[in-house]
Amino acid sequence: MLGTNWLAKARMAKLGRGLAVCGLLAVAACGGATGEDSGPVRVSVWAWYPEFKGVVEAFNASHSDIQVDWTNVGTGPDQYAKLKTAFTAGKGAPDVAMVEFQQIPTFVILDGLADMGPYGANEDKDLYAEWAWSQATDGEKVYAIPVDGGPMALMYRKDLFDQHGIPVPTTWAEYADAAARIKAVDPDAYIASFGSDGGWLNGLMWQAGCRPYGYSQAKAKDEVKINLTAPECKKVVDLYGDLVDKGLMAQDKFFTADATAALDSGKYWTWAAAGWTPGYVAGSLKNTAGKWAVAPMPQWTAGADEQGDWGGSTFTVTKQAKNPQAATTVARELFGRSKAAWDIGLNKAFLYPLVKDVAADPAFTGKAYEFFNGQKVNEIFVPVSQKLGEFQYTPFQDFVFKDLNDRTAEAMSGGREWSTVLEETQKNVVAYAEKQGFKVSR
Amino acid sequence: MTRSIPITAPAADSPPPPHRPVESRSRRRSRRVTAHPVAGALFVLPFFLVVVAFLIVPLGYAFWLSLSSKSLALGTRFTGIDNYVRAFTDPVLLDGLLRVVLFGLVQIPIMLGIALAGALTLDAVTTKFALAFRLIAFMPYAVPAVVGALMWGFLYSRTFGPFADLPTFVGGDPIDFFSSSLLLLSLGNIVTWAWTGYNMIILYSALQGVPREMYEAAVIDGATPVQIALRVKVPAIKQAISLAAIFTVIGTMQFFTEPAIMARFAPQISAGYTPNLYAYNQAFAYSDFHYSAALSFALGFLVFVVAYAFVFINRRRGARS
Repeated sequence: MLGTNWLAKARMAKLGRGLAVCGLLAVAACGGATGEDSGPVRVSVWAWYPEFKGVVEAFNASHSDIQVDWTNVGTGPDQYAKLKTAFTAGKGAPDVAMVEFQQIPTFVILDGLADMGPYGANEDKDLYAEWAWSQATDGEKVYAIPVDGGPMALMYRKDLFDQHGIPVPTTWAEYADAAARIKAVDPDAYIASFGSDGGWLNGLMWQAGCRPYGYSQAKAKDEVKINLTAPECKKVVDLYGDLVDKGLMAQDKFFTADATAALDSGKYWTWAAAGWTPGYVAGSLKNTAGKWAVAPMPQWTAGADEQGDWGGSTFTVTKQAKNPQAATTVARELFGRSKAAWDIGLNKAFLYPLVKDVAADPAFTGKAYEFFNGQKVNEIFVPVSQKLGEFQYTPFQDFVFKDLNDRTAEAMSGGREWSTVLEETQKNVVAYAEKQGFKVSR
Repeated sequence: MTRSIPITAPAADSPPPPHRPVESRSRRRSRRVTAHPVAGALFVLPFFLVVVAFLIVPLGYAFWLSLSSKSLALGTRFTGIDNYVRAFTDPVLLDGLLRVVLFGLVQIPIMLGIALAGALTLDAVTTKFALAFRLIAFMPYAVPAVVGALMWGFLYSRTFGPFADLPTFVGGDPIDFFSSSLLLLSLGNIVTWAWTGYNMIILYSALQGVPREMYEAAVIDGATPVQIALRVKVPAIKQAISLAAIFTVIGTMQFFTEPAIMARFAPQISAGYTPNLYAYNQAFAYSDFHYSAALSFALGFLVFVVAYAFVFINRRRGARS
């Protein structure tokens, strides 16, 4: 599917789009017509994807009218701090910025993101996984173009599970049993770590059917739904809190040197991970490469097929973009249908593609990973992404995740009952939201 | 003649030395009101511009920001001192303040005590070893705070650090330096490591300025080296000690870098762990620049009050003795 047919389709789409632009914006915006001395439009991009240099080069090589100037100003929160400052100051933001899904409503309410709808971005609707497109858009308004996602599945040490005859858990009840059995065979080992990561816990809650947030600026700017105390949400925290209290779950923060070393030394036997995690950790897990495998997420009800997502990112066009049309083109085509970009994205950066055609391509689903002893793990991740449904975030998700992390940290240190974590977070978040002028519903 | 021109010419231009004072005095008298202030202003101007551009204007802007509130849904509106009322009743800020004060009460005396002992030792020992020790003691200060915090993060690590497993040799449990009960101690150790040498050098320099005759007099009076150190040297450098203490108190109130970096290892470091960290998170995580400005001003005010109180008490005590 990634062959010539696919490329031809992309070229045709581009041609059509070019014509539409000329029609819309008259001669001035139709590159070259305003005078040969102006050269190509330059579009500044902030992003922190691994191996992104090649993607930018591929874009610049395939476009003569638009050239991308890329800067990596920091990962995640570091870049967001700069973006928020630039949006508040009214200048200094790039034309195009990489933004994770959970941050989109935040930047929308800060009035930082341009609606790409008028520049033809709605044409891409069918290109992307539905859940991703719905998070990136608000009705007809297109605030972001999806790039990669994080459908969740269970990474586990196949060799250790096999060796000790412990069945790979298919339900969370079995997962708790396995945790106890692992502790029994190796007192130094844990089934996993409670990693103090807002996005990760959010993914687990998503999978449990918990939908704690609701926000649509298009419907009502000042109405937000917060319901963290629903039973679907509580059961996740109860299960994990119980495992932590029993000493069956470690407490290292994810992505620290300690957590990575523990994954590589047999101290952790599983990790409820995302589609991008294998690529992210494979390089640092040298000792245990080839001993891991991926299984579908344990279910809350035996035989069910409920799924969740952890992370994923998009390209947004800021309201400060000098040429929103060109910026929209950059956001749509840096990855989008670009085969060269996805070659790098899949094989070097290990992104999980949200472009449906790329995810469904046998070159992706059929790819055997040495790290997983030849297992074709995307055969598990792709159906997960297809199963994901609607999930919304608040326009102040940083506050929610930070508060949730602080409360779980209190619980981990014994200063709080796990059963009160979500109630306290709910209370704090509602108070914050009301102070911010929102009408809060459950 | 050609050679003499450069020699004589300046002499002709400027009046001979004996005349100068007279000339300048008369000039001063006649142009006191006009020329002098202009020249003075010109000298001050570069510094003044820097102060205005990088201190007065940003402070003024931040203060102006702090007088209005921006809510995400309602937009910006003028709220006067509301942000300050909110700050001084914000339990998160008050918790952070309490934590920092607690931290300072333990850490500052320990650090300054070590620094003073080190300085007195350095002053008493005059070998090559003392020179090397001075250099080594000062070195942590030369390490950027971020690098220092990261380094200690690894030293505290249960996997890579040499300390966490020490109790296991005698049958104990490994130490978790990031647990809520040890976290302040772990942070205090980093700060002490980074700043003791710096304070030691300040106190040591002050000791160098004490007239040696005082020590001789003390020796003749039959004082032991310890007595000289405690009864002669310490009182002689009291000014320097209180200066070091004030700077340390101010630094502690603004505690930020170490907890901000260590938060990457330690989930127990909450968003409002220290007041400065809280102000940072308000601005750059929650996009509330207005409240962040108010927090910063409130913190600045508290630092001012504490520092001033410290100076006041010190002076009173100095006057009494």
